[in-house]
Amino acid sequence: MSGAYRHFPILMVTIPFFGAALLPFLAYLRRKAVPWASAFFLAISGGLGTFLVGKIPPGGHLSYPLGGWEPPYGIELRVDFSGYFLMMAVAGISLAAVIYSRRYIEKEVEGGRITAYYVLFLLMSASMMGFVITGDVFNLFVMMEILSISSYALVAVTGNRNAVRAAFKYLLMGAPSSIMVLLGVGLLYSVTGTLNMADLAARVGDTGYREVLIASYAILVLAFMVKAAVFPLHLWLPDAHSIAPSPISAMLSGLVVAVSAFAVARITFSVFTVHAWGLVGTTLEALAVAGAAAVLFGGIMAIYQKDFKMMIAYSTISHMGYVVLGITALNPEGITGAVYHILDHGIAKACLFMCAGNFIYRKGFRKIEQLKGAWREMPWTCFAFSLAAWSIIGLPPSAGFISKWYLVYGSVRAGKVPYAVVLLVGSILAAVYCFRVVYYMFFQPAKEGDWGERLSEAPASMSVPTWALSLATLFFGVFSYLFLDSLLKAAAQLL
Amino acid sequence: MKRLVSLLFIGALALLLLYVVSKMPPMGEPTNPTMTHVVPRYLEKSEGEAHARNVVTGVIINYRGFDTLGEVTVIYCALAAVLAVLGREKRGRIRDYVELSGIPSSVIVRTMVALVVPFIVLFSLYVILHGEMSPGGGFQGGAVIGASMIIFTTVFGLHLSSVKVPLKVRAALEGSAVITFFLVGIAGILGGGNFLAYAWPRVSQSLQPALVTWLTVLVEVGIGLGGAMVFVSILFAMVREEGADEPLA
Amino acid sequence: MNLWHNFHYAVAMVLFCVGLYAVIMRRNIIKKIIGINIMETSVFLFLISIGYRKGGVAPVHVEGLDPSRMVNPLPQSLILTGIVVAVSITALALSLAILLYRQFGTLDVNRLFREEEEEAG
Repeated sequence: MSGAYRHFPILMVTIPFFGAALLPFLAYLRRKAVPWASAFFLAISGGLGTFLVGKIPPGGHLSYPLGGWEPPYGIELRVDFSGYFLMMAVAGISLAAVIYSRRYIEKEVEGGRITAYYVLFLLMSASMMGFVITGDVFNLFVMMEILSISSYALVAVTGNRNAVRAAFKYLLMGAPSSIMVLLGVGLLYSVTGTLNMADLAARVGDTGYREVLIASYAILVLAFMVKAAVFPLHLWLPDAHSIAPSPISAMLSGLVVAVSAFAVARITFSVFTVHAWGLVGTTLEALAVAGAAAVLFGGIMAIYQKDFKMMIAYSTISHMGYVVLGITALNPEGITGAVYHILDHGIAKACLFMCAGNFIYRKGFRKIEQLKGAWREMPWTCFAFSLAAWSIIGLPPSAGFISKWYLVYGSVRAGKVPYAVVLLVGSILAAVYCFRVVYYMFFQPAKEGDWGERLSEAPASMSVPTWALSLATLFFGVFSYLFLDSLLKAAAQLL
Repeated sequence: MKRLVSLLFIGALALLLLYVVSKMPPMGEPTNPTMTHVVPRYLEKSEGEAHARNVVTGVIINYRGFDTLGEVTVIYCALAAVLAVLGREKRGRIRDYVELSGIPSSVIVRTMVALVVPFIVLFSLYVILHGEMSPGGGFQGGAVIGASMIIFTTVFGLHLSSVKVPLKVRAALEGSAVITFFLVGIAGILGGGNFLAYAWPRVSQSLQPALVTWLTVLVEVGIGLGGAMVFVSILFAMVREEGADEPLA
Repeated sequence: MNLWHNFHYAVAMVLFCVGLYAVIMRRNIIKKIIGINIMETSVFLFLISIGYRKGGVAPVHVEGLDPSRMVNPLPQSLILTGIVVAVSITALALSLAILLYRQFGTLDVNRLFREEEEEAG
């Protein structure tokens, strides 16, 4: 027995599942309790996670065979430091978003659907945690499906006609890509006879079936590109992310696409390890080109948007390009940058969407133009927005600076200077679209009747999560040294 | 033009996939990696380790139990998704198309269905409980119950079937698959093993086969019950017409 | 040349492309959903064929049966999960289709998206 803490990762994943299963009955008894209960289950999950601090060896991993079946036979959870790091990011941001949801959802979602909303929310958060720590490719597929189905439905939860259309578009691109994941897993299984990642890693090197392995890798990467909305396959993202209710936009933009990008890293480094890179080189180069295109395309499109949430959604496309470029740099710095970028982009993006939500909640404003002079009425939201935007641009001392630093450094060290230039250009584009909004908020006179003189902030249950996240971007910037060593070691372990 | 490009793309994809297929190991050979690596243990030891004569059940419930936990969560998630999209009926009765259209189905059909449905449900219990030793199991049985409710609803209308399976019952039982699975998993930890361990180390060796068998049956029943309720609720949500919740005048 | 020997796989791949064709090219939402289902079924066919063994029998232990003659049970349990996932996606897709039809009065994708452009412009 090595202590009870080794059970915690699986409990973090399954306790919200359990909670979600209890909610319908709870709603039947007492509907008002549902939001609190969901927050409670997510808090337990995150609280268990904090007990794991320092328990995961930075260069190693915590292996947990489910049901006690040793790995190739049963399913294994493989919690390495980057997985744990992302799991905690998911837990934290979900907790903020679920607290934020209570008031916001009351207003936007019709009463009978609120329970379903929270059920899906819990399933979405928990499946993301399972997704980043699982050590089994088929289990990866299962977790991804829970994640996808709940995201499709959460986009449509308002029942608004544009939302339903956006959700259907999302589903039409998402469902085939899920099937492709299953096909890729099937191809992998057919030539190796195993589904466990570590076992696969040991076996892909010396099977004779090169073509099959290349095909399965390409199919898996393509499928996860759709889920992560990497440039040519991003078509579903702007609609879905801008029309969904704001807390859901925060989760989708901040986490869902990012963990899908992380899955690419999993497949590349944990399944097709360094020994099998001869097989995957071409695909990775194509992926890097797509990532670079995404950085530029997303940034440029974001500048042209009139709708506030649409702009943030395009910015997400740009930032997924960053993550992909970090992964394809294939060195510890790049991977560290990618993982750290997933965290700080998640926090900052969630905060931006929550600010947008605050404006929508109070005023119903969606256009950037309407934000002129907003600071008079909602100064705290505007400041939170500016802080998060600071991190999105990547200026010191925010967390965005740290991750972009590592991403650029990784690209340069890999000898891919053009990509480093693309990353910097992406930051300039981000500065353009973010500062435009900040300028409107603080330095432009309000249009007649848009904003009054009286202070009217969003309710505390919405402002507090917003502010917590915007301060978190600073915290993870200033105290990044607490995590970076371990992340670098974990990344070096992968290579 | 767009059509042509898409056709070319799909054709190229098909050729690529066929090329990959031609490079795959020949199907059905006992020397394939799939036959030699992990599977022999399942085939040879499942009776002794997982205590299920049907190896598929042994793999689903025992060796890869967490996948199945995910699977029941997926179906539960589908229910929540459908309810999030279509909404759920409020407490009380639902007006339905049989009432709205005013056309009842014929006496023959009604009598037949009333006679057959109990037997279908009985058969589903057989499928659920017999899954340990023959093809079948919780999901299949749950789907059979769901099918029986579809037949019942088509003939007698949503109103009567929502009286037979009221909201209260469904709200309580929809999550039962996930809850059962989770509790069995926790019991594994309390029994001294890992999450989802069926053969608890704290229980004496001689009792373990019975324990594993009964836990398997418990999980199967939970899956069957939960699955059935999920299917019924999805059915109700889909069949329910818009604005059907208003009380009858 | 294994293509002829592996014709089960080949059929599955062709079906996969047929399904993809339906998803991309068909204008009717229900037909797109059917396309998704065809793709799913093709992958199930593929997986179940991987588990086949020449002269194999069902993997259920009965008296006097040699376990080494059984087919591979793992793909079977995988597709059982896969089928449930497929059912879930289909249920959600159909309920979205119901809602779209209620709101737009059409299932034709071109008309749905033309309206979108009009609303944006």
